[in-house]
Amino acid sequence: MLRGSSAAVVFLVLTTSVWAQDSAPSDQKAIALLVEQVKALQQETSDLRDKVKKLEADRATASPAVPATETAAPQPSQVMAEAAPPESSPELAAAMHDLHGIQWRGFGELNYQGLDQRQPELGTYGFTPGSAANFYTGDFDLFLHSRLTEKTSVLADITFEEADAQSYKLDLRQALLQYEMNEHLKISFGRYQTGIGYYNSAYRSAAWLQTTADRPLIMEYASNGGLLPTQAVGVFLTGAIPSGKFGLNYIAEYGSSDTIRPDLNGSGTFDDENDGNHVLLGWFARPDWAPGLQLGGSFFHDKISDSEISLTDRFGQTILNSYVVYVGHGIESLNEVFLIRETQLATGFVSNMPAFYSQISRRWGRVRPFVRYQYINASDRNTIFNDVGLRAGPSFGARYDFNDYVAFKAQLDHTQRQGLPDLNGLHLQVAFTF
Amino acid sequence: MSGRSISVLLLTFLAGLALIPSAAAQGDLAVVVSPGNPIANVSLGDLRKLFNGEKRSWPGGMRVKLVVRAPGSRERIALLQFLNLSESDYKQYWTAQVVRGEADSEPFTAPSIGMVLEAVRVLPGAISLVYAGDLKPGVKVIKINGLLPGAPGYLLR
Repeated sequence: MLRGSSAAVVFLVLTTSVWAQDSAPSDQKAIALLVEQVKALQQETSDLRDKVKKLEADRATASPAVPATETAAPQPSQVMAEAAPPESSPELAAAMHDLHGIQWRGFGELNYQGLDQRQPELGTYGFTPGSAANFYTGDFDLFLHSRLTEKTSVLADITFEEADAQSYKLDLRQALLQYEMNEHLKISFGRYQTGIGYYNSAYRSAAWLQTTADRPLIMEYASNGGLLPTQAVGVFLTGAIPSGKFGLNYIAEYGSSDTIRPDLNGSGTFDDENDGNHVLLGWFARPDWAPGLQLGGSFFHDKISDSEISLTDRFGQTILNSYVVYVGHGIESLNEVFLIRETQLATGFVSNMPAFYSQISRRWGRVRPFVRYQYINASDRNTIFNDVGLRAGPSFGARYDFNDYVAFKAQLDHTQRQGLPDLNGLHLQVAFTF
Repeated sequence: MSGRSISVLLLTFLAGLALIPSAAAQGDLAVVVSPGNPIANVSLGDLRKLFNGEKRSWPGGMRVKLVVRAPGSRERIALLQFLNLSESDYKQYWTAQVVRGEADSEPFTAPSIGMVLEAVRVLPGAISLVYAGDLKPGVKVIKINGLLPGAPGYLLR
C-alpha cells in the first residue's frame, strides 16, 4: 500500500511539474512551492511507514501464535474471519496469567452430630460419641494444583483433620506428580486415592462436593474406620481406550497402602494390616449415547495381616467392585457393590464380605433431598473385620446451597448392628469451599 | 439499461444476500476455535467431552482451553442445556474436576462476547460457543457432525 502511495506521489509530482513547465516555465516560486509540497508528502509517507511498523510489531507481540496469513486465508470447510484489529484486553491477559502458577482450592466444614448409642462406637473427625451431641470441624482441606509443563503437573491435598480434644493432625492425602503423554496415557507418581469404587476418586476428602454429610462407611477413609485401602503410595496409569461411543477408560495401579484402621466398636484398638504391594486394574465407561452415565469396576489384590493375631499370618485380600452412576438433569444416582474376599494363606480359609450402598438425590432449586441405604456384612469368622459384623440402614436428609460456595446439610441416620442396639443419629453440617 | 445489465445487477444482489448469515444461521451456536487449530470437524459426542473436560487435548497434543461466557448469558444457558447441568451443578462439577487433577482450572470465564472471541483468537487450543450472529473476524468456526451453522440439520441451536 505504501509503495502504491509513493508511486502516486511521484506520478502526481511529475505530472504537476510537466504541467507547470508547460504553463509557466519561468515561475520559480511555483516550483519551489511544489518542491515544498513534495517534501511534506515524503515526510508524511515516512511517518506512516513508522506507524505501520510499530503496529505490526505490537500485533506480533500480542498474538505470537496466530500468523497473519492464517486469519487472512479463507478455507472452504470453515467460516474464517477477515483480518481482525488486535484488541487491548488487560483482563484477558490477567486471566491467562492465572492459568499458570499454583491453583488453590480450599474446603472446610462445621459439623454438629449426635448418636443415641448405648454401646461404645468409634468417633472420628472430632466427633465424640456419647449421649450428648457435639460440634466438630472435621476436615479442613487445601487442594493445590500446578502445571509445570504442557504435559506435567503436580497435585496435592493437604488436610488438617480434627482429632480428639480439638487437636489437629496433618495428613497429606494426595501428593502426585502427573505426566499426561496423551489422552490414552497419564502416569501419576506419589500418594493417591485408590481406584476402588467411584466415590473415593470422585469426592476425595471435600465435604462440600458430597451431597450427604458423610461418606458411606464402605468408602470411609481407612484411618477413620473405613474397611478398604482408600489411599496408597505408588504409581498409577489412566487413559482412554479407543472405543468409539462407549467412552471406555482404564486404571492400573501398583502401590503400597499400609492400612491401619481403628475398630468400629470403640474399643480403642487398631488393626495394622501391614499391607504388601497391591495391584489394581479397573475400567470405567462414559458412553456418548447416555451423557451423565458412568459404569465401572475394579479388581484389587494385596497381601495383608491381622495385627490382633499375628503379623506373620498372611491373608490374600481381593476386592471386587462395580458401580453404576448417573449425574445429570439435577439427578444424582450412585450405586456401588463390593465383595471383599480374605483368604488365610496358611489354612486356605476364605471369608467373603459383601457390601453395597445406593444413594439418590434430586435438585429442586437450591434444595437437594437425598436418601441413601448402605449395607455391610462381615462374617463372624472374619478375624480382620470382626468389629464390623452386619451393619445396614438408611440415611435421609437434604442439602441446601446458600450460594455457589456454602451449603447446609441435615441428615438422619438409622443403622442396624448385628448383636447390638440400633443406632439413630442426627448430623448437621455447614460445608464450604473457597 | 439493457436486460443483460439488469440480470447482472440482480445476480450480484443475490450473491450479496447469500453472504449475509440467514436469521436461522444467526440463531445457531457456532463452535469457534483458535485459527491455528487444524481441526475442522468434531462429532457431537466429542464436543460434549471437550466441554465437560473429559477430552483434554486436540489431535496433535495441543491442550484444550475452554472459554465460556459468564453465568446468565444466553451462551452459558445453552452450554448448560447441552451438558444437562444446572449452574450450581456445573460449578460443582468443575471444582471436582480440578480436585481430581483432571483439569488445571475451571474454564476461563469471559464477561463479554468480545473477550470470548479475543481469548479464542489468541489462546492456542481455545474453544468456545458463540452465536453465529455474534461472530467476528479472527476465529475459526468448525463443523459439528459435518455441518456448519445455518446448514439444515445443524444440532446446536
